[in-house]
Order: sequence, then structure tokens, then C-alpha cells
Amino acid sequence: MSETKIITKQNEMLHDHNRDGVNRRGFLKCMAWAGTGAFWVIKGGVLKSYSLSRLSEIGPAESAGELSFVQISDSHMGFNKAANTDVAGTLQIAVDKINNLSATPEFILHTGDISHLSKPEEFDAVGQILKGAKPQDVFYVPGEHDVLNDDGKQFLERYGKNSHGAGWYSFEKKGVHFIGLVNVLDLKAGGLGTLGHEQLEWLENDVKHLKHSTPIVVFAHIPLWTVYPQWGWGTEDSAQALAYLKKFGSVTVLNGHIHQTMQKVEGNITFHTAASTAFPQPAPGAADSPGPMKVPAEQLRSVLGITDVNYVQGHHALAVVDSTLA
Amino acid sequence: MRRIVSIATIAATLVFGIANLGAGHGTFAQNAQTKTAATEISIDNFSFGPTALTVAAGTEVTWTNRDDIPHTVVSTDDPKAFKSKVLDTNEKFSFTFTKPGTYSYFCSLHPKMTGKVIVQ
Repeated sequence: MSETKIITKQNEMLHDHNRDGVNRRGFLKCMAWAGTGAFWVIKGGVLKSYSLSRLSEIGPAESAGELSFVQISDSHMGFNKAANTDVAGTLQIAVDKINNLSATPEFILHTGDISHLSKPEEFDAVGQILKGAKPQDVFYVPGEHDVLNDDGKQFLERYGKNSHGAGWYSFEKKGVHFIGLVNVLDLKAGGLGTLGHEQLEWLENDVKHLKHSTPIVVFAHIPLWTVYPQWGWGTEDSAQALAYLKKFGSVTVLNGHIHQTMQKVEGNITFHTAASTAFPQPAPGAADSPGPMKVPAEQLRSVLGITDVNYVQGHHALAVVDSTLA
Repeated sequence: MRRIVSIATIAATLVFGIANLGAGHGTFAQNAQTKTAATEISIDNFSFGPTALTVAAGTEVTWTNRDDIPHTVVSTDDPKAFKSKVLDTNEKFSFTFTKPGTYSYFCSLHPKMTGKVIVQ
């Protein structure tokens, strides 16, 4: 029994919309649905996650571990419509939350849609705000909003110095192998996100030499599992990518794009999507289209109450997955 | 003289189309094969409307993005017959179709959004 995995929620989609109990007065200050991210701790080889919107529950005991990092996503700098007219403000709230953690995370992962329209000043603004975060290292992957008009050339110039192809890369931190993938380029009519042959080949080679006990964290913008194909929430060739990761005891896949937290466990692989720091989107199929959800302050609680259907395991916003890596 | 003929053709097409609708051919509208001189396509709620538009050769078609989210209008042909820059809210893209044929296109940000222009 060297490999024991206790997975309580097999193949089940878990929804959480950060039940925060925010009142109207506290809404602008907290913007709990917006200024959120996920705090991750690796302890004894096990990856655990906590929502930044429930900061008070992340004490010294929770944040102690070999490695901790934060995931933020979909900051959409430049967006200024009704759903959120101050995306810089809500990103700043996320940074404040990161800075208030009892232990400083090692680094930040940004899972894409940094900008809204790929404008240089939008990328600059995000960079400026994130400079105020205690963790100085930020690892990015592009969202479709970051590669507009130039097939990702600007993104590569800004963030892709040590990357391959269209911007994919991997790195090691304290024994954990992190892989950043790009699935927002060269999308085909009627299709989903795409990784492409070249990237898949790179991935196969990248993980070939790793021990099976190496914890793997994959991050990409569009979900690498099929959340809702009708809205394009999935990746065409993700099955091939995941096949290369089957041999590993622990694989965690972190995505953004859908502006809400979800989790799914499938064998050795745990999938998570992060909330947006900018604006929420409807649950799959809950609206005619995946457009921004306008949530007036006075309705916030009721909206969250309605969608808060499968609250996960006590007080953690994302389920804790117990899996040993031995 | 040719111009007069083509205008007459469009007019006839319009009358034919309206008569068809008036006769209760519900499927005519449902098929979205709207055979009129309309040259506007609206991008609304993550879809192109009408999904299929039929125009005469030489017609300029204009897409307008009415969503809170940016979209693009990109031909699926190789090489691409047309490709817009990203369209933010209320921004427009126009293209003049000179040759008859069926031109399929999609939004390269949200590839589930597809449409076509049929040029006669």
C-alpha cells in the first residue's frame, strides 16, 4: 500500500460560489466574488487549496507546508462595463488578500485573460498592481483576450522569455513540477480550446524523465476538462495531454476562463477552475450565453445563495483532495 | 442598364421574401436564410444574427458587436477571405462581397460562434 489515494468525490463536479456572507455595506470593500484567488499549500506532498475570499480561515497552521502559491485569473484589465467598472480595484483587493496571508506564498500563477483587449497599457496596469504583491514571481499563461490581433506576439515578448513555441514552459519548485500550457491560439470554427501537435509533443518529452512520484501542477487558461462544450468550455485535444500525465500519482490541473470555481476529480487528476478577479460568469447553461453576470450589490447574496448548490467539505471553498504521493 | 437589372432583381427578391413570410412559411425565417438586401449582422448574446445572410454580389456587409465582451469576425476559408480586428462593444467591421459563393466565418475568441454569408 505504498500508493494510497482517498478520493471522496469521484468524477463529480463540485460548484462553489464563495458563500461569503457579504452585506451590502461590505460589498465594495470586499467584492468577495471578484477579488478572489486560490491559495495552495503543498504539505507532505499533498496539495490543498483555500479560497482567498475566506482569508480568515487560512491561519498559520493551514499555510504551513513545503510550498505555497496563489492562483489568480481573468483580471480582464480594461473591462469597464456594468458587471464591474473597476477591475483594477478588484485586482488590487486580490493583491491585498495575498499580502495578508500569514505566510507569504512562493509565487503567483496567473491563468490568463490578464488584459481585456491585449492593449499594452492593460498589461502594464496588471504588472504595476502585481508589483505590490509580496510574492514577486508571477507565472503567466495567456487567455484568448491576451493574444488579440497579433496571434500572441506581444504576449510572448512580455512574458515568454523562457518559453517554447507559443509560450508554454515548465519549471520546478521544491520537488513539484509546474507546466504552463497555451490553449487559446489557432482556435477552429465550432471548436474548443486547442493545444496543438507541437505543444503535445513537447509535453510528452517534458514529463518523460520525471519520477512517477513527482507532483505535477498543470496550468492553462481554458479548462483542460470539458466543463460545457456548448459554450466552448473545454479543450479539443486535452485527452492526449492528460494521457501523458496518467503515470503520475498526483496531478493538479488549474484553469481559469469560466469565471467561477469548479472542481472535478478523475482518477489521479484533480481539476480546478479559479474565479475571476474581474467579474462572474453564469453557471453552465444557466443563461443564454456566457456573458458577464451583472450582480448588483443588493442582489449579491441572493445570487450567490441560488448558485451555491454543492458546497464542498465544510469551510474550504475548494475541496481538499487527500492523495499521498508515495 | 445592368445596374437597373440588378436593382430590379433585389426588389423582386424582397417582394418574393415578404410574400413568402406572409404566406406563413415559418421555416423560412427559422432557417435564417434571410434573402433580403439587409447588410447588417448583429453580434448579440454570443451569436451572429442572422446566422446566415444572403446578399447580391457587390454588397457591403457590416457586423456590429452589441455584447459586453469583444468578438471577431474571421473567415474560415484558407486563405481567409476576411478577418476583422477585435471588435469591442459597439465597434463595427465591414466587408464587401464581390464574388458569388458561400462564406463561412466565426469568432476566433469564441469559436462556437459561427455564421455564413451567401453571395449570389
